[in-house]
Amino acid sequence: MQRCLAIALLTWKAAFRFRLFWVLTALLLLSVVLLPLLIKDDGTARGFTQILLTYTLSVITGLLGLATLWLACGTLAKDIEECQLQMVAVKPIARWQIWLGKWLGLVFLNLVLLAVAGASVYGLLHYRANRLPAREQQVLRREIMVARGSLKPPKPNLEAEVQRLFQQRVQQTRIPESEYPELRNQLMELVQAAQQVALPGYAKDWTIDIGLRRALLKDEPLFVRVKFFVAQTNATGSYLTRWQIGPPDRAQIQDLILAAETPHEFAIPPNLFDDQGRLFVRMFNGEPTTMVIPLDDGFEVLYREGGFGLNFLRGLLIIACWLALLAALGLAAATFLSFPVAAFFAVSILFVVLSSGTLATTITEGTILGVNHETQRPTAVWLDFMLLPVFKGLLAVINVVKDFSPVESLSTGRSITWLELLKAFGQIVLFMGGCVAALGMGILTRRELATAQPQV
Amino acid sequence: MRSKWRKIGLVALTVLLLGSAATVQRALNTQRATLGLTRIAPLENAPPMLAFTTVALGGFRGLIANALWIRANDLQNDGKYFEMVQLADWITKLEPTFAQVWIVQAWNMAYNISVKFPAGEDRWRWVLRGIELLRDGGLRYNPKEALIYRELAWFFQHKMGMNLDDAHLVYKYNWAVAMTNLFGGPKPNFDQLLNPSTEAERVRATRLRNEYKMDAQVMREVDGLYGPLDWRLPEAHAVYWGHIGLKYSKKTDLITLRRVVYQSMSLSVLRGRLISLDPMWFGPNLDRAERANQAYEQMIAEELESKQNVQNAHKNFLRELTYLSYSHNRLAEARRWFALLKEKYPDAVPPGLSMEEFSLQRIMGNFFDLGHDRTKALLEGLLVQYWISIAFADEDRSEEDRALGLESQARYLWNYYMQKMASRRNVLALPPFDEMKKSVLDMMLKPDGIDARIQTRLRAKLGIAAPAAEQKNPPSQ
Repeated sequence: MQRCLAIALLTWKAAFRFRLFWVLTALLLLSVVLLPLLIKDDGTARGFTQILLTYTLSVITGLLGLATLWLACGTLAKDIEECQLQMVAVKPIARWQIWLGKWLGLVFLNLVLLAVAGASVYGLLHYRANRLPAREQQVLRREIMVARGSLKPPKPNLEAEVQRLFQQRVQQTRIPESEYPELRNQLMELVQAAQQVALPGYAKDWTIDIGLRRALLKDEPLFVRVKFFVAQTNATGSYLTRWQIGPPDRAQIQDLILAAETPHEFAIPPNLFDDQGRLFVRMFNGEPTTMVIPLDDGFEVLYREGGFGLNFLRGLLIIACWLALLAALGLAAATFLSFPVAAFFAVSILFVVLSSGTLATTITEGTILGVNHETQRPTAVWLDFMLLPVFKGLLAVINVVKDFSPVESLSTGRSITWLELLKAFGQIVLFMGGCVAALGMGILTRRELATAQPQV
Repeated sequence: MRSKWRKIGLVALTVLLLGSAATVQRALNTQRATLGLTRIAPLENAPPMLAFTTVALGGFRGLIANALWIRANDLQNDGKYFEMVQLADWITKLEPTFAQVWIVQAWNMAYNISVKFPAGEDRWRWVLRGIELLRDGGLRYNPKEALIYRELAWFFQHKMGMNLDDAHLVYKYNWAVAMTNLFGGPKPNFDQLLNPSTEAERVRATRLRNEYKMDAQVMREVDGLYGPLDWRLPEAHAVYWGHIGLKYSKKTDLITLRRVVYQSMSLSVLRGRLISLDPMWFGPNLDRAERANQAYEQMIAEELESKQNVQNAHKNFLRELTYLSYSHNRLAEARRWFALLKEKYPDAVPPGLSMEEFSLQRIMGNFFDLGHDRTKALLEGLLVQYWISIAFADEDRSEEDRALGLESQARYLWNYYMQKMASRRNVLALPPFDEMKKSVLDMMLKPDGIDARIQTRLRAKLGIAAPAAEQKNPPSQ
């Protein structure tokens, strides 16, 4: 370990020697200071805080990410090209230790830079928040600068209901076996629809089990978050809903006119759950059209789970996990490529990761070049045949890393749990980073360093 | 030595070539414009950062704008609106001379995003953002683009002026307050705005020009042509922007801009008088009827392709005007509009119907066959309106006329019904007319009656004392 730390220290020294540390620190601080002056917000304190959090953290991640890739590629590739690594390799240190030492150096460097940038963002947010009127401060501390957990109604067992209906249909009607999958799909749609709709003039009920949290949530306001679609839109785009929340004997009732297809959040008074920690929520559809409340993201209850400070720290640590992976990627590329090629390769990989949305769309559509509208067939079947499995594999790998969105969670006041952080560390650093590190260490160990020619 | 002379020669050649290019640049630019080779007009009046971005990014601007647009769309689908203003700013600035980009982004804010918020004030912020994007950005880079003027006029006429949006009164109120503050009273003083002499007048003139991007000279021109307009109401601003747009419009855009102007004119007659700001109370502005009618006739004469549509709109306008003039006790005018309606559109009036009967039918449907309960309900409705007009009569003389008109309608209906029911008066009679008036007034002045602010006005006008505070029982010993 001491050997690894010695290499890490050398990497640190190099970062200071090239003034990279100071340049990056200045850039990060400048972005934190300048961004609030440049961005245009929606005019509310809440909107400003959200956009400030989103943009400052995105800029910090982007700057540090690119710098990490560049530095990782540079520090190893240059050492190899300039034959400095030959001098180190003859010392009593294994090649994998050299690789690990450089990675640790980069990770520590990122952690320090991230801490400086994170602290300045945190300080800036609190400074601005404290200058707001008390009412707006309260909104911020209740909705954005907080860690809110989510409670959703238990998912109904749709499969069992589908199976029951399927058996019923098969017994009643003679259906060819080849049609069974399609029948199941249709029945699933039917059962899902029944769970999601509120017919005109009728109510939709949810029961949320708060469980043991009820002791912690005593006297704390909760938030209902709802999103619905309507079968037939009206001219105003707003729809009347009546909400009855709480046990029947002391339920609170309020009418809300809400727009469709967008999430709405509204606060509900504290202590509306019963002795067993159940919160009953009923929504009456006051419109002459059917409302559809999706099972996945149609309804949830938000509650205060913790403070903003720890949540912010956990968010930064997830960003640090990404940076650690980028450092591994850059170092691995530099073990077998020259500096410019390694940098290009690593940035290309990053570009592919950022284009995962396009990959996902391609996979969903089942074709790369689109469908011929006359024949209704894919334009290039052979290309789809070859590349779609590759895309699927790539996406599966990318999703392991991209499953986490700390910036979005922080800007919407959602909780990032310790478990989530642990999962991020496991998936991003241990699993993905471990794979990349093994590859990089393996190549470096087997590489003939003396073949690298210094540049003339 | 040789290298030194070579460098000097190259520098001299560079200067010579740059100088030659500069001499032909102007001619080339002129020819490029004449031959129609410039697909995108050069950006004028842009801040340095924007000028740099548009030149430096070149053809990649479109790609970046597309990426930002996709992000904006995704965020909107997730109900995250806090980035929208920034994204719209970037998108429009990447394509500043593309009018549709401004229009779509502004429309998205004013129409799609605003309605996602239940609270009126939140909605207003987004409507205002849409207006500002067009007015402060779109027109800055495209000052001769008729479509942007049309869109801006439409936001005033439709989004703020009509009542399709649940929060339309919030929009009207906020705009009226802003305009009252800007003008320093209910009306703009054009002389002061054009030639300010005091500091306060200079501030007003500067705000009008810099903040609202309006030209006092053009305002005066519009007011003279179509007014006098109430500049606190959105219709006046719709007419203003539509009027400027007409100057720059191509033949294809003419009809849409004309439509904005005459529809706004029509609205400014039917609801173009702000009687009270708090509570917000409007009335028709019948003094402007003649001008609006002329605007309609001019549009019909100029319109070649959709004449029928404009004629239908004109017919409806005359119908409404007849009723409004009648209900405001302007009987001579009502007869004149009624005669014009019959003359221009004979199918609009059933034969044998008098002006009074026609007017009453506008609000009551076929009142010849009305039963006891419906007649009573209608009468009470007319009398509520009568008392409300009385409440505002001190502030606006036209409300007094309206009150007289409404009372006359109610009396006409009462008499008609009582005559029709002459044989069954013992079972189906209505209470005496004056008694009905009194009972409607009592009902309105109850604690749970009409708006408290109107109650206060009504009591003051009629000299009725406010009810004593509810007496509490003395505490028991």
